[in-house]
Amino acid sequence: MRAGPRVAVTMALVAALSACTSSTGQPASYVAPRTADGAPDLNGVWQTLNTANYDIQAHPARPALAIMPAAPRTGTPGLVRATHTDLPVPALRPLGAVGGVPAGAGVVEGDEIPYQPWALAKKKENAEHWLERDPEIKCFMPGVPRATYMPYPFQILQSTNAILMAYEFAGTTRTIHLEKVGNSPSPSWMGWSRGRWDGDTLVVDTTDFNEETWFDRAGNFHSDALKVVERYTPVSPYHLMYEATIEDPKVFTRPWKIRMPLYRRFDADARIREYKCVEFVEQLMYGQVGAIDPATGTVNR
Amino acid sequence: MPYRYGVALVALVVGGAMAFPACGSSSATSPSSTAPRTAWGDPDLQGVWRYEGTIPLERPARLGDRASLTEQEVAEQQKLEQEQSANRLAGREGAAVGRRSVGESPIRGNEYNSFWQDHGRPRQVSARTSLIVDPPDGRLPFTADARKAEARSAARYGVGPFESYLDPDTGERCLTDGVTGMMWQGPNGGHNRIVQSPGFVTILHEEYRDRRVIPVDGRPHQNIRQWFGDAVGRWEGDTLIVDTTNFVDRTNYEWASIWTRPSESLHLVERFKRIDSNTMEYTITVEDPTTFTRPWTAVIPISRLSADTQIYEYACHEGNYAMPNLLRGGRIDAARTTSSR
Repeated sequence: MRAGPRVAVTMALVAALSACTSSTGQPASYVAPRTADGAPDLNGVWQTLNTANYDIQAHPARPALAIMPAAPRTGTPGLVRATHTDLPVPALRPLGAVGGVPAGAGVVEGDEIPYQPWALAKKKENAEHWLERDPEIKCFMPGVPRATYMPYPFQILQSTNAILMAYEFAGTTRTIHLEKVGNSPSPSWMGWSRGRWDGDTLVVDTTDFNEETWFDRAGNFHSDALKVVERYTPVSPYHLMYEATIEDPKVFTRPWKIRMPLYRRFDADARIREYKCVEFVEQLMYGQVGAIDPATGTVNR
Repeated sequence: MPYRYGVALVALVVGGAMAFPACGSSSATSPSSTAPRTAWGDPDLQGVWRYEGTIPLERPARLGDRASLTEQEVAEQQKLEQEQSANRLAGREGAAVGRRSVGESPIRGNEYNSFWQDHGRPRQVSARTSLIVDPPDGRLPFTADARKAEARSAARYGVGPFESYLDPDTGERCLTDGVTGMMWQGPNGGHNRIVQSPGFVTILHEEYRDRRVIPVDGRPHQNIRQWFGDAVGRWEGDTLIVDTTNFVDRTNYEWASIWTRPSESLHLVERFKRIDSNTMEYTITVEDPTTFTRPWTAVIPISRLSADTQIYEYACHEGNYAMPNLLRGGRIDAARTTSSR
């Protein structure tokens, strides 16, 4: 235990002296500080800064998550050639600019998700029915890798035999087993995760998913054959490079990869807080079911 | 480059300070302590923990002012536990396996059919007659109003009416059963996994996937009210002390076990003290003038389960088919009541 700081000193000096920047802007050979028991230290509150939760693929800005085509223009002749934009569906219109979707370059390697033909059709159908189908709307657990790039922080809590990934959204936690552990007794939303170190990189193999979760708000989906291999690599004191390889032979024709940086939250008192969204969605899910809808106080007929 | 170097040094200083926060106090209070330590020097409370005792929260009224059972009573209780355990393993149901009414249940949830409880072994019998050690009568010091509310909610629990999603209790809504009983209760077994990392103690309670990430790095209370309040931990010798304030009460109706109800005036102090490798003495002191006339304290012996014990995903809200069915039933009931008027 007392050797810990000495190791950390050495490692930090190595890190400081050896850090140099490659042409991509990433330090080429950053060495992470060590925990007291000698593992790379990934402890902290982390968050992405991208639009992957809207759509993991490249996408232009648009006015809302659910849109409908504008009606054909029938007014003054001569103005009909004005380009009309798609409109938010009526339920989302009052949000104005707040409800818009920012553009993004996407996080998928090569920007192509290798869907089987039937699956590509289903993805498009999911997108058209986003408002009814996205599990995020119902406060369901987000699955992996989506939990990583939702617009909420998560905390890595690193112990000796296990690492917790504690996500703010829906109070979901993954236990990453570093020790030998039995198999999962059943499929689950967040899967069953086994971790190992590959140099400074934490590699997490996750299996035993159910087929309920999505990759984003664009309807990208998977089956219960999903396997995810994540790599968390420290590239500076404030950044982890995150990479996930997605494999699902029932839905895709080959494995594919996503990649993005994670940023350390170092605001004063950075931490994850409660986001118990169950109570935020009860009216949506059950308001019309009971005898009385608390939103209106009226008796449902 | 100089900036980067500076960052590394700052990280070192912080890391070094965090590695030994408890050294001074622990050597002062327990110089011969052999309690296990984490690699970074904190007392090690990690593992999966569960209350496996028979001691009820409150002393049963029939025991009057007796703080202990007689040897004969303990022997009888032990025999009963052995029999009930054998009956559970044999798949029997009902009173033979210790099924109790809501009012009698020392463990919230024991009113359920016993198969939800994985009592694969007899519970640990003790001579103590109540977990509550203060007040000395072993009873919850309810205010008169709280006692009335307890009676009202007990009468409603499982009975209704259930007119909207706000009428079932917070457990049935897949929110939580509250912090006060989290370490030692739970409708499906009450397993808790404690994981420590430098500066934090995290408690994962299997039911409702309740999670508390408790800072033990000296940061003060924050100014945000939450369901689980705002916990601040510190080490005193080998004991973890967690002070929690800033609770909210957004429960619509009075909880079936109203003593677990958070209110904005609740101040909870918990002490986690490992007394041997497989036993932790868990002490709660509850101060809440909204519900109680005075603070009360309970001492709860909780057990560490075998090292391969896991806690599993609790997808309660994701599979809450009971809620719409309960509400549909409630709606039919309401229509029937209206039409008979």
